[in-house]
Amino acid sequence: MDPQLFVSLGLILATFALYIGISIFNRAKATSDFYVASRGIPPLWNGMAIGGDWMSAASFIGMAGTVMALGYDGLAYIMGWTGGFLLLTFLLAPQLRKYGRFTVPEFIGDRFESNPARLIAAIATVIISFTYIIGQLSGSGVVIGRLFNIPAMYGTMIGVVIIAIYATLGGMKGVTWTQVAQYLILIIAYIIPIVFMSLQVTYNPLPWLTYGNVVDEIGAIDRELGLSEYFAPFAESDKSQFIALMFTLMVGTSALPHVIVRFFTVSTMKAARWSGAWALMFIGILYLSAPAYAAFSRFILMTQVANQPIEDLPAWTESWINTGLLQAADTNGNGMLDWTELSVGEDIVVMATPEIANLGLFVIGLVAAGAMAAALSTAGGLLITISSSFAHDIYYRLMNPQATDAKRLKAGRIAIVVSTIVAGLVALDPPGVITQIVAWAFALAGGTFFPVLFLGVWWKRMNTQGAIAGMLIGLLSTLTYIFLAMSGITLFGIQDTGAGLISVPINLLACIIVSKNTPPPAKHLQDDVIDLRYPEQMTYKDGEVWMNDGTDK
Amino acid sequence: MKKVDKEVADAYFKTRTRLVIIFLGVGFLVSFGVVAFAEFFSQFKFMGVEFHYYMGSQGAVIVFILCLFLNAIFSDKIDKKYGITDSANATISSNKNTD
Repeated sequence: MDPQLFVSLGLILATFALYIGISIFNRAKATSDFYVASRGIPPLWNGMAIGGDWMSAASFIGMAGTVMALGYDGLAYIMGWTGGFLLLTFLLAPQLRKYGRFTVPEFIGDRFESNPARLIAAIATVIISFTYIIGQLSGSGVVIGRLFNIPAMYGTMIGVVIIAIYATLGGMKGVTWTQVAQYLILIIAYIIPIVFMSLQVTYNPLPWLTYGNVVDEIGAIDRELGLSEYFAPFAESDKSQFIALMFTLMVGTSALPHVIVRFFTVSTMKAARWSGAWALMFIGILYLSAPAYAAFSRFILMTQVANQPIEDLPAWTESWINTGLLQAADTNGNGMLDWTELSVGEDIVVMATPEIANLGLFVIGLVAAGAMAAALSTAGGLLITISSSFAHDIYYRLMNPQATDAKRLKAGRIAIVVSTIVAGLVALDPPGVITQIVAWAFALAGGTFFPVLFLGVWWKRMNTQGAIAGMLIGLLSTLTYIFLAMSGITLFGIQDTGAGLISVPINLLACIIVSKNTPPPAKHLQDDVIDLRYPEQMTYKDGEVWMNDGTDK
Repeated sequence: MKKVDKEVADAYFKTRTRLVIIFLGVGFLVSFGVVAFAEFFSQFKFMGVEFHYYMGSQGAVIVFILCLFLNAIFSDKIDKKYGITDSANATISSNKNTD
């Protein structure tokens, strides 16, 4: 066994043992443990768990590469994926938390007192989470496959088994604390390589302060080569597409069921606000670092790999050229590798950087363990969400409302195992480019849920008919625009990944117009909505607000 | 239980809503606002790089984080001013859940 494989394998196995140990220790005993971790997670730790839940294999492996390839235009991902937490924490999370339900479909079903709405929401939740989880499983397959030189298929299977074990055991409680551990592992694995790269390139260990100058130098090299500058705005896409993509990612982030459900695990509206703040800080550490990662990698590639004689390429290039993700060929036959002759796959930037910068066995193994942590933490959260849609919303709330606690817990566990296997089977042969599918999941989440949840908690006049019309029209218009854009028909230059800018306003209008033209909801439902304006201690009832000061009932 | 004056209850909601609108407005300006005029902002430099690039890669995210923390702190202050205590909230909340 070669030493690199030994170190990487050892680190990954050690982290797996840690995750399974945590979920055995936090074994779920009641349904409340299983779905919402008994609602007792402190905000700071919940923020960290949201970080692990939210940052997926796409964030860890792919984002720096995307920014490197697209330059300024890749920053739509940075601002979109972080800005979503602003919408979520200001407009949805505290209100949804005060409503006090287990899942997003349960909120929609109870707020609009409608089982058809509950069913539509449950099915949409499953579709969105399934789309997302396929990307995670393929991602973990790529990491394991590369490591052991086995086909990614077997890697996927190994990943599926690990996730199924710890999600079934611990439920949300176990998943919460494994996500905290996974966040810590992935962030350490992400930061260490760029600190070393920053030292190598600028002699300063704080990459966030130094990479601006590197970006400027890259722009200067681009200018010399006659290419458009790295930082030039809208070189790769239209401004309208940049704005549409950023909007879609923001709104989609705030409406993803597996992220919203993490806010149900804290005790109060106040704790929900603090969770959101901590979450974005922990997430921001990685998102602020991704452009630095991109800049240093591009700088090293431009100055140390490009413009070298083709025979003298560094040793690490060979194994990546073999995977097909790195292409370096002397097409113009001058014996030198020009920058324009080098093609770097977006997904290898983070994985290959420790080798590019020659950081040694331990760091390379750590990055592999970090990538696995990112994929597994998101997959764990998604599995709980899918399982709760089936076992809680469809089985318990619609089919068998008399089910005992033990029976519901069992249904939840069965749903996790079945959905892991199905998702694993689909991920063996992914139906398209992963990053694109993930972008569709955001468009679907925003287009289906955001207006319904937003109006549901802020507008008392919003009724059942409006919610059903909004969800169905939103889902349909998102899918329609994606298909139209894929076949070349676009509005204002907005591509399929920016579909949310089209479908979210349509959904919003549908909700308002249909609600206005149908009877208002029952009075107690309207009272519930006004009640969400106030903290838990204040209760709204029959036009009056009451303060619970503990004196009497 | 004690009745709260309508004006007091409305004032609470109004203060909180104003906070949300201000912070979302700031968030909108530093992201969409800068993107919409990216060509204009590219003539300025900040921390070694063009201003529009800086805002996209760091500035907007830092402002977002600040908005969320300031909102959490201000909201706690508002709650305190209106006599809301966190432990009471937690007890009431856990009785109200449909768990």
